[in-house]
Amino acid sequence: MLQALVTVHLQAQKAIRMSIKSCVKSLYLIISPYFKGLKKRVPMKKNIWLTLWALSLITLFTTGCNSDDETPTPTIAYQKIAEGTADGTDIKVEVYSTEELTTGYNPIYIALFDATGKRIEQATVSFKPLMDMGTMKHASPIENPTSNQAQDGYFPGAVVFTMPSGDMGSWILDVQVQANGKTGTLTAPVTIKEPATSRLKSLVSATDGTRYYIALLQPQKPKIGINDMEVAMYKRNSMMDFPAVTNLTIALEPEMPTMGHGSPNNVNPTHSGNGHYKGKVNFTMTGLWYLNLTLNDATGEAGKLYFEVNF
Amino acid sequence: MKTPLLLGAIALSVLPAYAQQNSISPDSVRTIMLQEVAIKTKAHSHQKHLQEFYYANKAATTEELMSRMPEVSFIRRGSYGMEPTIRAFSAGQVSVTLDGMRIQGACTDKMDPATIYIEPLNLQSIEVHTAGGSAMQGAAIGGSLNMKLAEADLSDERRLSGSVSSGFQSAANAMLGSLRLNYATPTWGLRASGTYRKSQNYRNGNGEKVLYSQYEKANYALNGKLLLQPDLVLKADLIFDDGWNIGFPALPMDVGLAKARIGAISLVRENNKKRWRRLETRLYANQVAHYMDDSARPDLPIRMDMPGLSQTAGMFAEGTTSTRSNQQLTLRADASASYLSASMTMYQDGQSPMYMLTWPDNRQLQSGIAAQYNLQAGEKTQLQLNSRVNVSDYAVTTREGRDQLSVFGYTGTQRQFVIPSVSLQASHTVYKKLKALVSAGFNGRTPTASELYGFYLFSQFDGFDYLGNTNLKPEQSIQSEFTLSWQEPRVRVQATAYTSRVQNYIVGTFDPSLSAMTAGAHGVKVYENTPYALLAGAEASVVYNITGYTQLVSILKYNYGRNTNGEPLPMMPPLRNVTSLRKYFGDNLWVQGETEITAAQNRNSERFREQPTEGFMLWHLRAGYQQETEKKVWQLNTGIENIFDVLYREHLDWGQIARPGRNMFLQVSMGF
Repeated sequence: MLQALVTVHLQAQKAIRMSIKSCVKSLYLIISPYFKGLKKRVPMKKNIWLTLWALSLITLFTTGCNSDDETPTPTIAYQKIAEGTADGTDIKVEVYSTEELTTGYNPIYIALFDATGKRIEQATVSFKPLMDMGTMKHASPIENPTSNQAQDGYFPGAVVFTMPSGDMGSWILDVQVQANGKTGTLTAPVTIKEPATSRLKSLVSATDGTRYYIALLQPQKPKIGINDMEVAMYKRNSMMDFPAVTNLTIALEPEMPTMGHGSPNNVNPTHSGNGHYKGKVNFTMTGLWYLNLTLNDATGEAGKLYFEVNF
Repeated sequence: MKTPLLLGAIALSVLPAYAQQNSISPDSVRTIMLQEVAIKTKAHSHQKHLQEFYYANKAATTEELMSRMPEVSFIRRGSYGMEPTIRAFSAGQVSVTLDGMRIQGACTDKMDPATIYIEPLNLQSIEVHTAGGSAMQGAAIGGSLNMKLAEADLSDERRLSGSVSSGFQSAANAMLGSLRLNYATPTWGLRASGTYRKSQNYRNGNGEKVLYSQYEKANYALNGKLLLQPDLVLKADLIFDDGWNIGFPALPMDVGLAKARIGAISLVRENNKKRWRRLETRLYANQVAHYMDDSARPDLPIRMDMPGLSQTAGMFAEGTTSTRSNQQLTLRADASASYLSASMTMYQDGQSPMYMLTWPDNRQLQSGIAAQYNLQAGEKTQLQLNSRVNVSDYAVTTREGRDQLSVFGYTGTQRQFVIPSVSLQASHTVYKKLKALVSAGFNGRTPTASELYGFYLFSQFDGFDYLGNTNLKPEQSIQSEFTLSWQEPRVRVQATAYTSRVQNYIVGTFDPSLSAMTAGAHGVKVYENTPYALLAGAEASVVYNITGYTQLVSILKYNYGRNTNGEPLPMMPPLRNVTSLRKYFGDNLWVQGETEITAAQNRNSERFREQPTEGFMLWHLRAGYQQETEKKVWQLNTGIENIFDVLYREHLDWGQIARPGRNMFLQVSMGF
């Protein structure tokens, strides 16, 4: 009995979520005969009953609608940052990124074309960034494209630039290509900017003196709510060798420095492959947040650092 | 207006004299009549004395008026914008409606109950139903408060009438001005009214100014009435209410602007010869915008804005039929949709603004069917059955809102509640003039938007941030009430005892794992269902007509509440007595002396960091004078409240803020 009533209610609520406008309209339609009727002084007995029934039916209808907003999936906007022919080959190399190159983790996309301008779908691509500071040179962490098959025509990889271009020195990016039985390199000068909030930190481990580089990958577009959190960890073996670090544990603690509070239910980033660590970070409001990270290796606490997120 | 007695008697409590076969009315309703009604009587009925008792200060606001009813208390955070409670049931537990229409406050801190958007001049009457009788109005466990709107008059000849009045209150240097105009014809009528109030910071009993206690507001109302047929009326109402610069001394913020827009169209048919004696349908919509900010407060490291918006549209249909002369059945179907949204933005120099939704955009759909059945079973016995089934559906409507709540793992934000309620009331004349009334029933209420979706809502009361909980169960209540009344021609004594057991009592529970958002807050509380709470109390009233020209009215009330662990509930009004003695000197002048005695409240809630409150005693003196000329009625009301300038606060006042000291008021009105 009760269940039936509930069903009736819900059906009424769901089925007829008329807008207020249409309700007013119908009310007008119902009332208007009376004004005519008044003028003519005609009794409208039947009309009254119809009206009252119609009105009581309308009372069951609830206005309202679920304005579920659907966001369209964004398409990747590739920006060309360099192009040229790989030395000693006729392969045309085009270098793309999705955003301006900055200090930190930068996805890089390579498109290859043969002499006829046809896209090359199979190749081995590797990166070699180099910072020339005059007195010394150093490389930086990289992620070479993992597959020799192009994805949607591109070979995706990444370079973690460890400092901006400027008076201190300038960056070049070597893209080595092996395709159609030929091997060659495109040397492209690139300009690296420092982002408004730093997306790369480094620290020297308190346990063994290793220098770590930590890049913040996510959140890219922070929002109030649950955000994906992703960092990538590298260490410096030599000035030219920065391998990924896979054996750290990370504790995450977000904090709003101006308010002195954190947020609940965060998920510590854990290693998911290639030195990438994924977790969840929650923001309860907009504004400036610190993502406090504590790094631990097998022997103990290696150090602390934080990233700023401002939105 | 020919009678000097402005408030005609409408017998809503069943006096034996009025117990005609066709007018069976409930006992559990208390009414304040605010506009003169057509019945012209000089009878000094008991009901009328109570009316005059309630309406002793004609310059009073709607909330000040209601606070004189024994069932009603107000949680006070400032001079204006108080939260009504009925028998210690808070705003979320009672149903507050305006002539059957739902209005949702747009303030996350409950600073704008519907009562603040209405002036006494807008109203014909205020009805308070306790527990069981509220089923017609909505799903509530604490009763209902319905404010009936004043209507335009019709008259056989075309006529313009109206009144102008002005008032002053000294404690707050408050001014009041109001104007009412009515144009009546045989087939239609138009009523327009406007009220303006401006109140400065008031002085407390120590002569100190209480900062941030000022307010200013204007209210405009228009009512049109058209006789479509001799028994069929089309009515339209429009109310604009703007309040601004409303201070809240007990809070860290004030209200810059609070505005309500209320509109309704209804059709009413009243015809005693028809099978359905009364039929009413109404379509309504209203919008409330409420802006809180702290721009008036000095030296704050962080500035804060908290705007809120509520929009409601709804309808109801109600019909009353008497199948036999001793029976009466009223049926009602209602439905409404409300949309709520509130946000907070904090500003600090050199920082990007900190923004969040304090009420993630949400909507509530509700529909209900209710029935009230009255039966006169014999000479001495009356029965009344109230029942209602209410279905409501809550949901967060935007992705931003859902994302925000997902932080707490609340993934399913849509909730449906089915609330059945039934109450049975029987009254029986036990012995001569002694009448007993017993009522028992169960009902429930849905959690509020704050309790479901609230996002770090700071409560100054206990200093905690409050978080909603989308998994709450509805509160359910089992209640009973017992009333004895003794009615003599010159005396009416009435005593009521009541008790409610509220299952799944919703209360904020400290969660140490969460860090407070508000600077200085003690922590975070999350709304949880606790096993139960017990609320009980008693009320008594005496109306004694000592002579034809001297009357005594005295009311007494007591509330008791405890939670599952036996600890006191917060916000419990202590024992309180108000006694007034009124003497008429002829038909034109009356003088009334009044005492208000409130006991100390030492049953304070430690859990809510509530402080005990001392008792106090106040003396008031009021007088009224009325002079009729051929076409005009002049009225003068004056008085001194808190004559001895006592420094006091009531237990339901937040933040240890003292109430006004000695207050002289003067109100002059001219009716034509």
